[in-house]
Formats: sequence, structure tokens, C-alpha cells
Amino acid sequence: MEKNEILTRVKDVVSNVLKTDPGEISDDSNFIFDLGADSMQSVELVAGFEEEFDIEMDQDKALEIQTIDDAATFIAGYL
Amino acid sequence: MKELRQLRQENLETIFHPKSVAIVGTNNVKGTVPHDILYNILKADFNGIVYPVSPREKSIKGIKAYKYVVDVPDDVDLAILVFPSSVCHMALEQCGQKGIKSVIIISAGYKEVGEAGLKREQQLIEIARKYDMSFIGPNCLGVINTSPDTRLDASFAREMPMAGNIGFLSQSGALCTAVLDYASAKHIGFSKFISFGNKADISEIDLLFYLMNDEETKVILMYLEEVSDGKALMDAAREVIEKSGKPILIIKSGRTNEGASAAASHTGSLTGADEVCDAGFEQAGIIRCDNIEEMFNRARAFAYQPPPASEKVAIITNAGGPGVLTTDAAISRGLKLAKFSEETTAVLKKALPATANINNPVDVIGDARSDRYLAAIQAAFDDPDVAGVFVILTPQSMTDIDTIAADVARIAEGQTKPIYTSFMGEKDVASGIDILQKANIPHYILPESMCDSYQAVYHFNKKVKDKVHKLPGLDNIQRDLARKLMDKVKANGRSYIPEVETIEVLETYGLPVPQGKLATTADEAVETAEKIGYPVVMKVVSDDIIHKSDVKGVELNLGSADEVKDAWKRIHSNALAAIPDATITGLYVIKMVKGAEEIILGIKRDPSFGPVLLFGLGGIFVEVFKDVSFGVAPLSREEAMHMLEQTKAYKILKGTRGRNPRDMDSIVDALLRLGQLAVDFPEIEELDINPLFVLDEGSGSVLGDARMILTKTE
Repeated sequence: MEKNEILTRVKDVVSNVLKTDPGEISDDSNFIFDLGADSMQSVELVAGFEEEFDIEMDQDKALEIQTIDDAATFIAGYL
Repeated sequence: MKELRQLRQENLETIFHPKSVAIVGTNNVKGTVPHDILYNILKADFNGIVYPVSPREKSIKGIKAYKYVVDVPDDVDLAILVFPSSVCHMALEQCGQKGIKSVIIISAGYKEVGEAGLKREQQLIEIARKYDMSFIGPNCLGVINTSPDTRLDASFAREMPMAGNIGFLSQSGALCTAVLDYASAKHIGFSKFISFGNKADISEIDLLFYLMNDEETKVILMYLEEVSDGKALMDAAREVIEKSGKPILIIKSGRTNEGASAAASHTGSLTGADEVCDAGFEQAGIIRCDNIEEMFNRARAFAYQPPPASEKVAIITNAGGPGVLTTDAAISRGLKLAKFSEETTAVLKKALPATANINNPVDVIGDARSDRYLAAIQAAFDDPDVAGVFVILTPQSMTDIDTIAADVARIAEGQTKPIYTSFMGEKDVASGIDILQKANIPHYILPESMCDSYQAVYHFNKKVKDKVHKLPGLDNIQRDLARKLMDKVKANGRSYIPEVETIEVLETYGLPVPQGKLATTADEAVETAEKIGYPVVMKVVSDDIIHKSDVKGVELNLGSADEVKDAWKRIHSNALAAIPDATITGLYVIKMVKGAEEIILGIKRDPSFGPVLLFGLGGIFVEVFKDVSFGVAPLSREEAMHMLEQTKAYKILKGTRGRNPRDMDSIVDALLRLGQLAVDFPEIEELDINPLFVLDEGSGSVLGDARMILTKTE
């Protein structure tokens, strides 16, 4: 899967979970600092990515991911 | 670039008196730290502008929120960071870009969680240095300023405390909340209340200096878990006390002796971290407290009542037993019962029934009501020998507790002498105690705490506050020669320096070394003995033998050439029997000292306080008797003498049981010189002089044995 497609789908998940306008999500957006995800939402995001991409991720490592771009790179590793 | 201390003081002023505050990373979720900090600021009626900064919320608590702190259109004085630690540095960077100089970082997840957290903390420090910012925290409860012109509660405590004149600093945020609750129940108010957390930037020392100049703070309290720089804390405390006269009370937790490492010297094994802390605090005028209750008992006495002019107190009680208990407690803490004048006695005789006791302690007896108490208290205040008044009350059926409490509060107003109370009991006296506490009359459940608090205030005001820490000038110090000798010793890569070379170094600092010489042959030993005069002592000198007595390597009282020659053979034979591989450099031949007192002096380098001196009863059983005292170098003459006064050995040195007084001045002089040596040569890790032979007053003293351990170099 191309990185761009992964990025688009990651942003869709984020938009749904955080109820954020997709236009406000850029590749270098930080989940906490720019998008305001709290700890509960971070877990929901991980679950959302797993469902979206039909993968099972290392939870601890997944929760350390800081940005949209980092998330796409991390998910690409499972595809 | 401004000097760091000045920068921090300026930024602290803004932390405590901001006109605008941004809470960066806040949210609308009740019961979370980011929400509750903002909520507390608003609840306390902050006298300034509040800017919530939240990545997702458009408004919080009806106040417009900004996505980033750089989006706030106005200047912001203080930023409070409540983001998780993984992104706090991003928030701090933006604060710097915006020109905010004063920050509080509430977030946890820094050095307290390990290496990764420490790296995040260092990142915060780098950002702060880049923008000339100062921050309190991270990992803290926050900061409270009760001043009416500010009313800042930048914390997640349950309640804002009432205003008062006590400043409280704590390294533990959780303890802060317990203290606030405790203080609230006792109507204790604070000027400033600060949880400083990891103290990555602003430390307790910066805060001490701030409170020194804070007009609303009269007493400074501190809770510390570790003393990172004991010397700096001592210097700061001395400066604060000298310039402001404000007492500093500290609880330093962790009183175990695990800090005393398994050291090679007697001094090393006797010097524990907590003893050093005690010594350092006392020298600096810091009042060390054992627990929260003791701290606040004393704090109230300092904060609410004038200091007493003397140790003489009057005790007013309505029951004989508690009167005796209080008397015992007073006397055992060094207080005295005032002796009433004839006028006072006459007034009491007239005001009280015939069955009352009109001497001190005054017993107004069990059926007393407020009129008798009032008369007795007023008479005590008016008596010229009374410096302070203790009021003891036990709840009899007729005791009008609340009226008595209100009368005490009223009569105390405007007095120049302090009044302390102990309404003994709990339930029946509760409302009376409440009246006293609201009127800022110190109340104590136990007479012992009352007497202890009075003594603490008296001692500070009379003995500590105006003390000048003056270092004496020392003559006969040959620093360059000592440097040459130390370099020579270090060039060989050794860390253990035996007697002969240690004594050479000590001689350059004017310490009283014995007459004698290292002999490498028996003939040389005899020659030396004849020169210095019999009797002599001979001791084995070897880098491989530390405890000479243990290998029978010391012989005393050798009175002739033949005895010297025989001892020469025996000592060699004994030493090699005990340690066959030992290389014996020679035997040290010195003049024997008779009729002297043996004491131990030592140096040990403490990681926090620097060089620490030890004094005590010496000899080979020093670790058994442990009659020792400590002092942080460099010492003043008074501090050196005080080290002697703290020990049982002091009475022996003063002369007891028909024995002559000993030359204590020579011990003081030796301590001062040792202290200077330890300060000038940081490579000295430990040093023992055991024994120092102290002769009769006027005759000086002589080193008996000495050894030194240097810091190991890689």
C-alpha cells in the first residue's frame, strides 16, 4: 500500500475518533499537542487503526507514536 | 546575560504576582489535573486575566480558549503547563517564542520515572536557558499566593488555604495536600505555598531567597527529601537569616544511616549522612523538625506571638497535675519558672481564693471561671520577671471554656510578651481551641509541645538570628608546600596515605606534629630516640598495613637503646607474621606523650555538604563509644568550640574528678586548621587523627597517629 493512502486513511480514523475537522490534520500533527488526544482517545486511536488496516499492533510501541506521519510509517511496517 | 540568581528572582516575582496566566494543555474534563488547575484559579478569584490553551476546545468554563499559546493576542505573564510530559517541551518552546519568562510545569513523567524522563527534563532546561525563562517543577502540585492583590491558586489542591504569614515549600506534592488539610483544620494561614517537585530549574534555594524578600512571609517552612547541595543550602540559610531575621524550619526525611559507607577510616565509619545534615543545619541556623506536627507547633509560635525576652515563664493552670507536668516539661527543655515580684504576689493573693497556689505555677484551682484566669494572666503579663505566659486549662463542669478562650485572645492583643495555651482534652475543649486558633493564639495539645515551641523561638531569637559566621584568619599555613607534598603522593597513584606522609602534610598547616623521624635501620632508630629523648614509641610504617595495633606493630614506652633495638626486631617479626607480603618502609620513632587525654579528629567528604569534621573521644574504641560530634568546614571558632561542647568528652576536658582542665584551645585550633586543609584540598576523601594527645591547659596537644585517604582517580 502506498504511504499516501495510509496517511489518508490514518487521518480519517483520527477525524472520526477525535471529532476533528480533517482539514485541521496535517502529516506532522502531534496527536496530543496539535490534536488534543487524551489517554483514552489514544487507546481508541490504536484500536481504530487496527480495525481500519486489519492488523494487530504492539500496543506499547503504538502508544508511543507521536505524529500522523510516524503512525503511517509504523502501520506500513505491518502491511 | 543576567546572572542566573537575579534572573530567577525576577521570574519568581512574576510567578507569584502574574497579571495574566495561560493554562497550557487544559481541558473540559472534570477531575483531571488540566481541568482542575484552571478551575482552582477561577475559584480562588484570581485578580488577573486567564487564558485557557487547549488543542481541541473552543472555550472552557465560558472563557475563550486558544489552540496554541502563541495564538494568545496579549502578553502572558505566567504559563502553567499541564500537557503530558511527552509534549511539554513543545509547549515550553512556544512559551519561549512568545516571550513568557515564568512557567510552572505541573506534568509528571520526568526524572522520577528514570533515564528517559531525565532526558526529557534536560530538554526543558535547555529550552528555558535559551529563552531566559525560569520554571518551577516539573512534577509538582503547583503554587499558591494568598496575597489579596493576586489570589493565585495555580495548583490542584482541594482548597485554597487562608491567608497568613507562613511560607511553605515542599519537594513532595502529595505531602502538600495533607499539610493544607491539616492547616485548614487548625486555622493556619499561608502567605505562599509552593510545591517545587523535581526542582529541575528553580530549587529550594531560589525559593528561600524569594521568601527572604517577601513582605508577607514571616516564617519559612520546608519539606525536603534530599539535599542536593548542602553547602549552598547552608549559605542561603545564613544569608536569609542575616538579612531578614526569618526563621527557617525544615523537615528532611530519610534519617537512616545507609549513607555511611563502609569506609577505611574511623571517621568514615562514624559519619552518617543524617548526622552531617544535623550538623550543617544547626551551623546554618536552620531549625530541623522531626515531623509535620512539630514543625507547625513551632511555626505558630514564630508566626503569631512576639519572641520572648528570656526563658522565664509563668504557668497559669486550673489543675495541679497539669501544672506539674508543664513545669517538668519547661525545666527539661531549659526554661525557667519566673520569680514573681511582691506586687504580683499581692495582686494574685487578692484576686484568687485562699486555696489557690499564688506561686509559679499559679493554680487558680478546679472551680475557676474566666475572672480568675483573667486576673492571673494579667498579673503574669505585668510581672517584670515573666517573659512568657503559659495557660493550661482542664474542662471541669463549671469551666467556661469559650469565655476563657475569648478572654485569652483579647488580653493577648498588643502584648509584647508571648502567650501560649494548652486546653487539655479533645471534645469539650474543641470550641475553645477553635476560638484560640482563629485569634492566632498558639494552642498545643500537650504541654511538652508548648515548651518545645517556646524554647525554639527563644533560642532562635537570642542565639541564632544575630550570629555572625566569621572565619578566623590562620597563621602558619604553607599551602604551596602542602600542594607539593600532595602532588608527590598522588603521582605514585596511591589513595591510602600512611602516617609519616600524612603528618608531613599536616605540619604544613600548623598542626602540632610529634617529635620524631622515620628510621629505616635499627641504628637510625636508636639515633633518633637519643636525639628526641626517651621514652619513645615505635610504629611500623607500611602501605600494606592500615591498622598497626592489630598486627602488634606498635610498641610504647621504650626507655633505652637496647629496648629500641629489641622492639625493632619484634615489630618487624609481628608485622610479617600477620601480613607476610607486607613491604615495610621502616619504623616511625616518636617521642612518647604521657598523661594526656586521647581524642579523635577527622575529615570526611560528604557528597552534599562537602568536607565534614569530626571530634570525639579517641583511641581504638572510638567506634564503640561513639561520643562524637560533627561540623561542616570551614568552621568559625565558635562552631569549633561548639563541637566540643556537644560531647561527653567535653566534661572530661574541662576537668573532672580532680583532673586538670585540658588545652581545649589547641583542639579548636587543630579543628580550624583541618577544616582549612579539607577545603583547600578537595582530593582528601577521609582523614583520621587518632589520637590527638591533649595536654593540660596551656601545654598544647600533639598528634599521636594520622592517616589520609585520597579520592581514587581512574
